Amino acid sequence: MSGKQWLKNRIPFLLTNLLCMASLSAFLLLGGNTRDTIAFILIIWTLILYIGLSLSFISAKRRYDRLLRMAEGLEERYLIPEVMEKPKRAEDQVYWQILKMAERSMLEQVENGRRERKEYREYIEQWIHEIKTPITAIRLLCDNNRSDLTREIMGEVEEITQYTEQSLYYARSENTQNDYLIREIRLLDVLHDAVADNKYLLMQNQVVLELPESDFCVCSDEKWLRFILDQLIVNAVKYRSEKPVIRFLAEDMGEYVTLSVQDNGIGIDAVDLPRVFEKGFTGQNGRNVLHSTGLGLYLCRKLCDKLGIGIKIESTGTEPAGIEPSGTESKVAAPAKGESSGTTVTLIFYLNHLIHQVQD
Amino acid sequence: MRGVPEKIMIIEDDPVIRTELETLLRGNGFLPCVVTDFERTVCQVKDEDPHLILLDIKLPGKSGFYLCSEIRSFSDVPVIFVTSSNTDMDELNSIMLGGDAFITKPYNTAILLAKIRSLLKRAWSGRQSEGLSWHGAVLHPEEGTLEYDDRKVELTKNEQKILYYLFTHAGVICSRADIIDYLWDSRLYVDDNALSVNINRIREKLAGIGLTDFIRTKHRQGYLI
Repeated sequence: MSGKQWLKNRIPFLLTNLLCMASLSAFLLLGGNTRDTIAFILIIWTLILYIGLSLSFISAKRRYDRLLRMAEGLEERYLIPEVMEKPKRAEDQVYWQILKMAERSMLEQVENGRRERKEYREYIEQWIHEIKTPITAIRLLCDNNRSDLTREIMGEVEEITQYTEQSLYYARSENTQNDYLIREIRLLDVLHDAVADNKYLLMQNQVVLELPESDFCVCSDEKWLRFILDQLIVNAVKYRSEKPVIRFLAEDMGEYVTLSVQDNGIGIDAVDLPRVFEKGFTGQNGRNVLHSTGLGLYLCRKLCDKLGIGIKIESTGTEPAGIEPSGTESKVAAPAKGESSGTTVTLIFYLNHLIHQVQD
Repeated sequence: MRGVPEKIMIIEDDPVIRTELETLLRGNGFLPCVVTDFERTVCQVKDEDPHLILLDIKLPGKSGFYLCSEIRSFSDVPVIFVTSSNTDMDELNSIMLGGDAFITKPYNTAILLAKIRSLLKRAWSGRQSEGLSWHGAVLHPEEGTLEYDDRKVELTKNEQKILYYLFTHAGVICSRADIIDYLWDSRLYVDDNALSVNINRIREKLAGIGLTDFIRTKHRQGYLI
């Protein structure tokens, strides 16, 4: 609360006082009192007025500061009328009433918004479940009548499935409730399932796959992990190079188990790399390759956070051409650079006490 | 070629999925039977006594969960829940009620078949599939060997799977794409070139035990035994 403004608001009161002082002085002067007596009375008056104003300012300041602090400390500030006590001053009571009214309508709005969002999310989830029945039917029809045509269709169906799953996880990731089931799962099983999800995508793009030799058990949610791996595989294919290779590596690092998805694709610009997990971020690659949603890695990160899996990304993108001195030399060097480009996404499973190598 | 095919009961209300599942299972050497009258599913399970049940959760009338607990009261038959709602609550429920596996739609048929096979193997481990034979050559998938004229040859996993596919489609031309498809479903990620290499290696091995011209190449169509 600014003291100046407070004082300004008191101008009428001060003017009244001044007027009273002036008229009293005039009256006393006419009554034959000495100037000293009048000066004395005026000084006392001013003193009392000063003390009175100061006291009322301090108490008002204290009161309003307390309210401000209270409001700032609140998570949901619009709830302030609930926690503040009913003021005693007449004007404050009016404001308090207004606040109460504002709060009520605000709560109604918030509740409406919340309900609408919930209904919308439920509708989306419902829709996704409904759409899965015809997708399943198409898959079965294609599998029972395998031909080059159905293989093409299956490739597209895989993409549809991907997008449906993505929207389902997106709808769910907004939800605060954690909808997962942690169980002991074998990494190799999940990997094979994720590859099977993208079978036709991988086959059509002639991707060479390298799977890890050793298998590990980790404690995690199978569905979520499979979804994360699906996204990583799709990314590796989307940003592929001439002869795509995807290498999966599983390693026991003692404290934790890592699972890496390594590709030899076009890589990610060093400038873009720190931001790839941001929602909606597409970067340079997004501008070069169509159909970048900027959602895949964002969802991966979000799900990993919820599951307690670490995720990190490394990339050696093709360096900008301007750095190399122009001439024949750089042309010779270029293919070697292209080969070494690629992206590695590593998932880190902590919980060391729960991990052990599968004994076959 | 095998013993009695395992009977698999399909409890699913979507008619297209039901018939296609039936075709898929029959094509993979199982004996499917479907439930169309959902009023008396439990009786049908009792009558048919299947080796395994594929059960949808969302059914007209009683839910799959209810059916599962009903079935569990008289039978230990393996039950696979097949559903499009993949909340973890459903998964947890299915486990609590005695379901053996939980697969969400849209499922990958290869994964579904693998789950079915592994559950059948676990539940009915007594059954042994015999070797496959064609024109005097016998393939032993369990041992990973091929026998001809009392001479045996060891096969790698790739070779064995390729031969298995050819043996189960004996007398029919198998396209390269179909074989690659099958190999991917068996978790062997082989491309076109590698398939040619493998076929050549198989031919060499077969020639080593006196079996020549067993696999014939049909130009632009595929392979035939």
